[in-house]
Amino acid sequence: MKKTGFLHDDKYLLHETGPYHPECPERLKAVYKGIKDADFLSKLTLMEASPADQKWIERIHSIKYILRFEEACLYGMTEFDYPDNQMCNESYDIAMLSVGGILDTVKLIMEGKIDNAFCSVRPPGHHAEMNKAMGFCYFNNVAATARYLQEEWGIKRVGIIDFDVHHGNGTQHLFEHDPTVFYYSIHEHPSFSFPGTGREFEKGVGDGEGFTLNSPMLPGQGDREYKKALESDLFPAFYEFKPEVIIASTGFDAHIDDDMSGIALSTEGYSWIMKRIIEMADKCSDGKLLSVLEGGYCLPRLPELAKNHVEILMDK
Amino acid sequence: MFINKSMCKNVVTIDKEAGIFRAREMMMEHRVRHLPVVDADNKLIGMVTDRDVRSAMPSLFIETCDIGEEKERLEKLRVEDIMTRNLITISPTYTLQDALLLMQKHRVGAFPVVDEESNKLKGIISVRDLMRSFINVLGIREPGTLIGVLVENKQGQMKKIIDAITEEKISFGSVLVSRYWDEGKRAVFTYLLTNTVAPMKRKLEKLGFEILDPMEWYLDQFPKKDE
Repeated sequence: MKKTGFLHDDKYLLHETGPYHPECPERLKAVYKGIKDADFLSKLTLMEASPADQKWIERIHSIKYILRFEEACLYGMTEFDYPDNQMCNESYDIAMLSVGGILDTVKLIMEGKIDNAFCSVRPPGHHAEMNKAMGFCYFNNVAATARYLQEEWGIKRVGIIDFDVHHGNGTQHLFEHDPTVFYYSIHEHPSFSFPGTGREFEKGVGDGEGFTLNSPMLPGQGDREYKKALESDLFPAFYEFKPEVIIASTGFDAHIDDDMSGIALSTEGYSWIMKRIIEMADKCSDGKLLSVLEGGYCLPRLPELAKNHVEILMDK
Repeated sequence: MFINKSMCKNVVTIDKEAGIFRAREMMMEHRVRHLPVVDADNKLIGMVTDRDVRSAMPSLFIETCDIGEEKERLEKLRVEDIMTRNLITISPTYTLQDALLLMQKHRVGAFPVVDEESNKLKGIISVRDLMRSFINVLGIREPGTLIGVLVENKQGQMKKIIDAITEEKISFGSVLVSRYWDEGKRAVFTYLLTNTVAPMKRKLEKLGFEILDPMEWYLDQFPKKDE
């Protein structure tokens, strides 16, 4: 059995997105319920939200953008950059707490106090670009974490696996020139789904060529095709790259019951993906794996998906 | 929609006296396939393409020719010896539509754009420039989601769709209509600048529209029950 951390805080519910918005506080409640009802809490190392040192956010977002976001919240704007991005007064602070809580959690992994962790945070991050909020994301949580690992812990190779059903345009663009961070994403094909990037031929730029890899999946595809794509694209690439730490951008929105996409993964399909990722982390990253929540909007399905996810991390 | 907005204005040109090796070098250096040939007053005399250059070179498969002799011949060849003189040119006031249709008609890759009175070269428009315009029209450089709606070929359908989407305060990246789909039907493709389209799809279905289901191809793979 592994020592697993779990980041959850009611403060993450305070980022309000208004009525009828899919990225709602109830998502985290559902995740928490699944894990609590399975009686896992006593077996997990529980983590809390804490504000991030702004310097880590400045490593991936321009200071202009950070201030613009802060001012928009202070000013009481309920929308930022795109109408998709609904927010409230507290959103800036909560986005800071999101990054901060994740950095605290990954620190424990690096100190060897825990093996791996699941961070159930809002707002999500993988669409956030250097200068632009997008797709419900404001600060790019996993990108900040990758930079933190490199600069604070001297990690040379970080591997990011993004299996949210949408392409993590923000994460890709932040690292596409960088051969030290390998970004892999599997998602619904950009011609059918938001945000319209992540095509097969996007493979990194300049020195970063070969360190970005995308597996776009067609609407209707599910377990079978995901397995095939992960086996042929992700695993060979990561076994060769040998990341010292793996960060998973975890999205539960590829589930067949989630109406944010046409992808049809089953609950078992999700478990299979996670098991294979853990297996790989054990072999090439000394088990160091940090899972950070991105999307996942089907409230009735989130408890079981989160429960399975954590159960696999714990290696029960 | 005039050509002068989409054409390339910094045109790489060549002198008619230049050798064909120089022409090949310039094409590789600037990554272009068409070099307009102009005189000292920037008046268009012809155009040389990568195909003109390649046709002038000996074939790789010919082993019988004298290499020294062949080299001498090629070194003497000037751009004016191989360039096309009877060009189809267009003026800056042509529209993108004109250029698209002309290209399809004449099966060429680029048109020099010249001032009709002075015959001076103003720019060049190639298939690639038109592609860039088309990407712009599709709006796919911005994040969004595509919805395909199948509609009857009758008046007022588009308004219903646009109104329904506008009511939800969703912005449009583009709206394209495919005129030929199933018989009597048209397909309207709305590219919406949002992540959340499921409620929009349900709303359009309630209004009686059929949403094009990209999963259909997938289901088509399986044997049908009645087969």
